[in-house]
Amino acid sequence: MPIPLYGFLQGDTVGLLILTEETETLQTLARKLQDAASLRVAGRNLVQVVFNDKIIDPAKTVAQAGLQALDRFDVIPG
Amino acid sequence: MLDREEWLPLARKLDWDYSYVREEEVFPEVISGRPWLPHSEWKDWEESFKTSYREYVDNQYEKDMAVQAVHDAVGRIENVQKLALPWLNSLKVHAAALPLAEFTGVIGNLRGARFGRDSAWRTMATFGALDEYRHTQIPLLLFHPLLRLDSQFDWAHKFYHTNNWFAVAARHFVDELILGQNAIEFHIATNVVFETGFTNLQFVGLASLARESSDHMFERMVTSIQTDEARHAQVGHPVLAMVMKHDPQYAQYLVDKWFWRNWRMFSILTGLSIDYLTAPDQRPYSFKEFMEEWIIDQFLRTLDEFGLEKPWYWNLLLDELEIYHHMIYASAYSYRATLWFNFVVPGPTERKWLRQKYPKYWDDMDAVWEQISERWRTVGPGPENELAVHGTALPTFCDLCQLPLSAGTPRKNAARVLVHDGRKYIFCSKPCEWIFLREPERYANHTNVVKRVLSGEAPTQLPNLLMEYFNLTPETWGTDVHHGDYEWLRARKIPAA
Repeated sequence: MPIPLYGFLQGDTVGLLILTEETETLQTLARKLQDAASLRVAGRNLVQVVFNDKIIDPAKTVAQAGLQALDRFDVIPG
Repeated sequence: MLDREEWLPLARKLDWDYSYVREEEVFPEVISGRPWLPHSEWKDWEESFKTSYREYVDNQYEKDMAVQAVHDAVGRIENVQKLALPWLNSLKVHAAALPLAEFTGVIGNLRGARFGRDSAWRTMATFGALDEYRHTQIPLLLFHPLLRLDSQFDWAHKFYHTNNWFAVAARHFVDELILGQNAIEFHIATNVVFETGFTNLQFVGLASLARESSDHMFERMVTSIQTDEARHAQVGHPVLAMVMKHDPQYAQYLVDKWFWRNWRMFSILTGLSIDYLTAPDQRPYSFKEFMEEWIIDQFLRTLDEFGLEKPWYWNLLLDELEIYHHMIYASAYSYRATLWFNFVVPGPTERKWLRQKYPKYWDDMDAVWEQISERWRTVGPGPENELAVHGTALPTFCDLCQLPLSAGTPRKNAARVLVHDGRKYIFCSKPCEWIFLREPERYANHTNVVKRVLSGEAPTQLPNLLMEYFNLTPETWGTDVHHGDYEWLRARKIPAA
């Protein structure tokens, strides 16, 4: 069952809906958001995922990070 | 026969005591509004424009004839074809947003004409309702025939009957502001904040922009409407004064709430028209300068006049003046097929002007336009490449204002997630969250476009969403005015802004 999340990429002008899976890593999640926002924001290799004001280990999965449907996550330069 | 000076006070002030029904039943609080006060408190209600029906009809006739004359002289399709393309698209925005919103004003004023607490108030609200009929009919008369020139003008009639995301936001706004509102909140929110605070002055600004753009038809239309607004907007001031006297906290809340909600809508309608859809050499001022001179200063004087405080979010609002409508425009450009009008990419001249006017955050916005320009450069110009320079993921929307989550800055988006009664909501900004929390029963069950998609009410795939839910077609959805074919873009390098 896909999990809808609100993704905010630093440098972008609008939040985007990103569909993910519990088993997806935050690294993949960050890549998805960067791809979705690539029209407005140039991609970066090194980024970090922020959830609840904390930087989360990118190897963690969505479930391990505690992200649930309709949560906000941010992707910032690493 | 009585002369005017004797007849007018008699006709305006025609109140009586009820003998077989209680006053609370004639004017129930739920529809007349609060604080509920006996008529003895309202009986001295006065406003500055005292007019008779005959005078009203004579004046309006003259104004209608003036609009008709300008329409006959410069309102033909060949005149409109001479206007600059970006400005023509500003007209499409107003053609859609104005007429039926004005029609809700008929209903709101008629509610005041029945449930206003004094007869003079009710008389003025009756004229207000007649005004709003004009304001519905005039733009429909002037804009809808332009359908023969451009099918996007069909949205003059169509807009509010669609589930287009901007129509959802506009309906959410006017439904609460006007259509489903009690008489007291309606007259404060609409007359004092919306009309005195925003539209009245917006129309002065728009008339000036239209003049600079040689669009004399639009100039005449907004001027004609503005003269009505100036009159019926006066209804709200004595209503606010009475609420201020009996419940100042409630008065402050209404003003704070409605200034914010108005700001959200007008920053888009007016901000985009001034700073992006008017040629730089025809902009008499930036949107920020216009807001500072015409809206902010005037609004502060109004607050002072009534003994009200500045809204608690004032510093945030001043900061938003620098950036909010720029965030919205760039987002809307990259999702232009979701709208019914066309956009332009600001080129080096425009960006230089924007940097001058908005130095605080322009570096971040410039990077966004650089990236979008680069995409056009990569795929090449042409209508066939429109969707290659377009967003694919679904943009997200605020659960209060229903507008895109584009508040804050590119460095830090201001969206906030809230769990309320076990349900998750997201707001573009702190004031939108604050408004929701003051009256959650009013807003909690309204679903934004994203939630409609997730629940299966609206299609998931963007093309289906555009055609089946937003009522657009490939012929009418928004494109780049030049399909990416800009002279400055053909050069190898964009000159530094």
